Amino acid sequence: MEKEKTKKKVLVKEKVLEMPPVMAELSTVGKSVIRVDAYDKVRGKLQYGADIDYPGALHGKVLRSPYPHALIKKIDTEKAKEVPGVVAVLTAKDVPGRNGFGAIVPDQPVLCGDKVRFVGDGVAMVAAISEDIAFKAIEQIEVEYEVLPAVFSPIEALKPDAPKIYDKGNLLTTSRVEKGDIEKGFKEADIVLERTYTVPILEHAYIEPDVVIAIPHPDGTITVKGPMQAPFTVRRNIAPVLGIPINKVQCVQTPIGGGFGGKEDSPIDIGARAAVLAWKTGKPVRMEFDREEITLSTCKRHPMIITCKIGAKKDGTFVALEGTIYNEQGAYASLGPVIPPAGGVHAHAVVMLAGPYMIPNVKIEGYLVYTNHPYGGAMRGFGAPQVNFVHESLIDELAALMKMDPYQLRMKNCFELGSETATGQVLDQSVGLKDTLEKARSEFHWNPKWKPAPPVKELEKADKRKGVGMAIGWYRTSIGTYGDGCGVNLHLQEDGSVLIFQGLTEMGQGICTVLSQIAAEALGTALEDVRIVTPDTDVAPESGPTVGSRSTTLMGNAILLAAEPIRRSLLESASELLVIPMERLVIKNRRVYDRDDPNRFVDLKEAARRSMAMGRRMMGQGWYAPPKPSFHPETGQGSPYFVYTYSTQMAEVEVDVKTGAVEVLNLVATFDIGKAINPLMVEGQIEGGVMMGLGYALMEEVVMKDGMIQNLNLQDYIIPTALDMPDIKPIYVEYLNAYGPFGAKGIGEMPNIPAAPAITNAIANAVGVRIYDLPAHPERVYTAIKKRVAEGT
Amino acid sequence: MAKEKIQFEVNGKHVRLEVEPDELLIDVLRDHLGLKGTKAGCRAGECGACSVILNDKVVTSCLIPAMKADGGKIKTVEGLETDGELHPLQKAFVEKGAIQCGFCTPGMLLSAKSLLDQNPHPTIEEIKVAISGVLCRCTGYQKIIHAIDYASKATPSKEA
Repeated sequence: MEKEKTKKKVLVKEKVLEMPPVMAELSTVGKSVIRVDAYDKVRGKLQYGADIDYPGALHGKVLRSPYPHALIKKIDTEKAKEVPGVVAVLTAKDVPGRNGFGAIVPDQPVLCGDKVRFVGDGVAMVAAISEDIAFKAIEQIEVEYEVLPAVFSPIEALKPDAPKIYDKGNLLTTSRVEKGDIEKGFKEADIVLERTYTVPILEHAYIEPDVVIAIPHPDGTITVKGPMQAPFTVRRNIAPVLGIPINKVQCVQTPIGGGFGGKEDSPIDIGARAAVLAWKTGKPVRMEFDREEITLSTCKRHPMIITCKIGAKKDGTFVALEGTIYNEQGAYASLGPVIPPAGGVHAHAVVMLAGPYMIPNVKIEGYLVYTNHPYGGAMRGFGAPQVNFVHESLIDELAALMKMDPYQLRMKNCFELGSETATGQVLDQSVGLKDTLEKARSEFHWNPKWKPAPPVKELEKADKRKGVGMAIGWYRTSIGTYGDGCGVNLHLQEDGSVLIFQGLTEMGQGICTVLSQIAAEALGTALEDVRIVTPDTDVAPESGPTVGSRSTTLMGNAILLAAEPIRRSLLESASELLVIPMERLVIKNRRVYDRDDPNRFVDLKEAARRSMAMGRRMMGQGWYAPPKPSFHPETGQGSPYFVYTYSTQMAEVEVDVKTGAVEVLNLVATFDIGKAINPLMVEGQIEGGVMMGLGYALMEEVVMKDGMIQNLNLQDYIIPTALDMPDIKPIYVEYLNAYGPFGAKGIGEMPNIPAAPAITNAIANAVGVRIYDLPAHPERVYTAIKKRVAEGT
Repeated sequence: MAKEKIQFEVNGKHVRLEVEPDELLIDVLRDHLGLKGTKAGCRAGECGACSVILNDKVVTSCLIPAMKADGGKIKTVEGLETDGELHPLQKAFVEKGAIQCGFCTPGMLLSAKSLLDQNPHPTIEEIKVAISGVLCRCTGYQKIIHAIDYASKATPSKEA
C-alpha cells in the first residue's frame, strides 16, 4: 500500500476502512478456526435432504418433454390415474395460482399448457405412494405433440425468419457499455487484433442431487424443505404459484452438498412442483431428481459467442476495445435478464468484458437470446468466466504479436487505485491487483520461466512441450441491484451464549463458520458460544440470496450492526457489577474487563445474566445494504458494483504434441481479498475454484445434439478428478475493503475465473496454437497443432 | 420377487436381513440399516460418494447388489470411529481443511482408509490414484490429499 501511494499520479482520495474498536486486536477473525460443521460431516452424521425420512410422504415425479420445441395438442392422464397407488396426476390446469416461476422473470411454466420449449420441460406430474409407482404412472401419461422447428444458436435465433419461441420474439434483452469515442480510439491504435471466441454450456455437477419435501398444514400454510441456496427466492416463487401470500410459505434449508449457483435456481423448479402436488393432495410430497434429471432439466452456465477487438499503441498502451456478446439464454429467463441496474448474468458479462484494464474508448453490446436449449442460470462467476476467457486470450495473443512479455503488457494497463473502469467508475479503494501480479510473478518464477512460443519447426522435435500462461481478473462483491439488503437477528441468552437467525446458506463455502467468527469477535465471546440457526424463512429476517460472493461482506456487516445494542446491554450490566464506568470497559474473550486494569473483570455470562434480570436488551437486529449502484443501463456508465476482488493466475502446462492432451503441472493463484476472515477456508475456496476453472479450460462441456443433451451422467460429463490436480499455490494479499466487515470482500467466485485462460494461454505458449473455443480437449488441441504444422507458420 | 435372506458384518456388527434380489447395497445400508452417511450422487458408479469398504476393497455401493455382500464384511463412514474417538483420517480431514460441502467426505475417507490399510505410507501419486474414483466439486482435492498424507505420516503402522 505504501508503494502504491508514492508512485501514484492518482487524483482520487482513497476511501479507508474505519475500523471498529473490536478490530484493534482480533481473537477469532483472521484465524483458521475449525469449521463449525466439520465434525458432523466427517462422522457422516449431518443430515442432508435425502437423509431425512418422511414416513407417509407421497413421491412426486415430473413428465418431461422429449422435444425441444412443440405444441401440446392433448394430454391424456386417465391410464396414469388408474395405476394402483397413484394419488394425483396433474397438468397445467391444476396449478392453483400463477403457472410460472423464475428467479427474475416467472416465464417458466410449472407445467407447460400449450407449448414446450426445451427437452426436459415439465408437462405433467404424478404423486404416488412410492417412487416406483410414480415412475410407472408417468410412463402411462399420453401426450400428443405437434413438433415445431427449433433454434439452437443465439445468432440464428435473432434472424427474422427464426422460429419464434415466444410471441414477443427471441431477443430477451440487450445491454451495453459505451465510453469515449470508439472510432477515434481505433484510429489512434498502432495495432489492432480481433477474434471470435465460443464458450460451452456447463453443468454445475454439484454432487448432492436436488431433493425437497413439501408439507401442507391444516392452517393453510406450507413448509418446503430442501438444499436451497436462496430460500427467500424459492418462497417468493412458491407463494404466487399456490396463489397464497408469502407469509404462508415457509422455506427451510437442509445442508447443501454443493451449489455453485445451480441451487439458486433448481430448488425453485423442484420446490414449486412438489408444493403444487402437496397442495392438491393435502399430503406431504417428496421429490428427488436423479443425476440425469438434474443435468437434463436444471439451469446451466450460459454459453456465449463473443467477438472482441482491441487496439493498442506501439508501447502497449490500450486505446480501444470493442465487443459483441451473443449470450444464449436457452428456453427460460432464469437469472439471465437485468435486475436494475446491473444485476443478472447478462449485464454482468457486458460490464466485465473490458477486463480490469484502463481503456479510454470502449463499446460493448450484448444480446441475450432465447433458444430451445436448456436455460442458463447462475454458475460460479455469473457471466464473468466467459468474458474473462475472451479478454485474457485476446490480450495474451496481442502480447505475442507485439513480442511483449504478457506480464508486462498486463502490468502496463491494469487497474490500480484511482483507475477508471469501462463504465467510468473510479476505483477509490481496495485495489490490490498489481500486488497480485507481482506476488504471482515471484512465486511462479514467471521470469525466467516465460519465453516466447516455439517456432513451428520445434514442434516436431519433441513429443511433449511445456509452456506457461497467465491471466488476471476482477469480480464484484454483491449483486449490483438496488435491493441487495441483508438482515440478521442476534439473540443473547442468559448464560452468555448467542443464537444467530439469518437466511444465508452453508453449501460448503464455510459461511456458517465465517459468520460465527464475526459474531464471536463482535460480541467478545468464543466461537463455541455462537450458534447459527438453520435458515428458515419463518424465523430469519430477509437476507437475500447466497450468491454473488456477497455473504461474508453483507451479512458480516449486518452482524456487526446487530451486535452493537447487545454490547451496550452487556457493558451497562458489567458496569453495575464492577462499579466501573462503561467507557472504561472492554468485552473480549468471554470477559468484560477494565481497560486500565484487566484483572478487574466479570465473566460475560454474568453480565448476560444481569442484563436478563434487569430487563435489558437481549437482542440486536442488523440490516445492511451496500452502497447503491449508480449504473445507467441505457448508457452503460456509472458504478455497477461497489467493490471488487482481484486475481492473477499463472499456470505451467505440458502438452502432448502427438495427442493434444494437456496436463497442468502447477498453478499459482494470487488474490486481493480485502481481509481473510478464515485463511484456511480462503485457501479452500481458491483451490476448489481453480480446479473448476481447470475443468472449464480442458474438459467440461454439455454436448448438445438437436436440442438433446448427449452427456447426462457423470461418466460422460467429465469433471476433474484428483489425477487432474496440479500443485496449486493459493496466495492472498489484503487491501482492506472500506465497506467490509474487518475489511473483507468476496472470494467464492473469483478463483474460478482466470484459471481457464491462464491454462489456454499456457497451451499457446507451449505449442504456439491459440484455443478460441472451450474446452481445449485433446482433439481440439491436436487439430490446432496439426493445422499449424501443415501451414508451417 | 421372493425376498432373499442375507447376512453380513457392518461396522463390526452382525446383521441379518431380507432383501429383494435386485436391491442395491446402498439402499440396504441407507434404508434398512439407517446408515445415511453413505451418499448417493449419481447411482452410476461414477461419483464415488457411495463408496464403502467391502471385504477390504473399496466398492461403489450403488452398483453392488446387496446379495453380493452376503457373508461379507462392510465398513461405512459410521464405522470409522472407535469408542467415540475419531479415526486419524477423520481428524486430519477436520484439521487440514479437507471438508467443504461434505457430501463426498464419506467416500473420500473410506477410499483413503482402504489405501492406508494396504499401504500405510503412500506417495502423493498413490493417494491421488486411490481417491480418483471419488469426485469432489468443492475442494479441488488438494487439502484432501494433504490430509491423507498427514494422517499417513502421523499414524504408527499398526493404526493404518
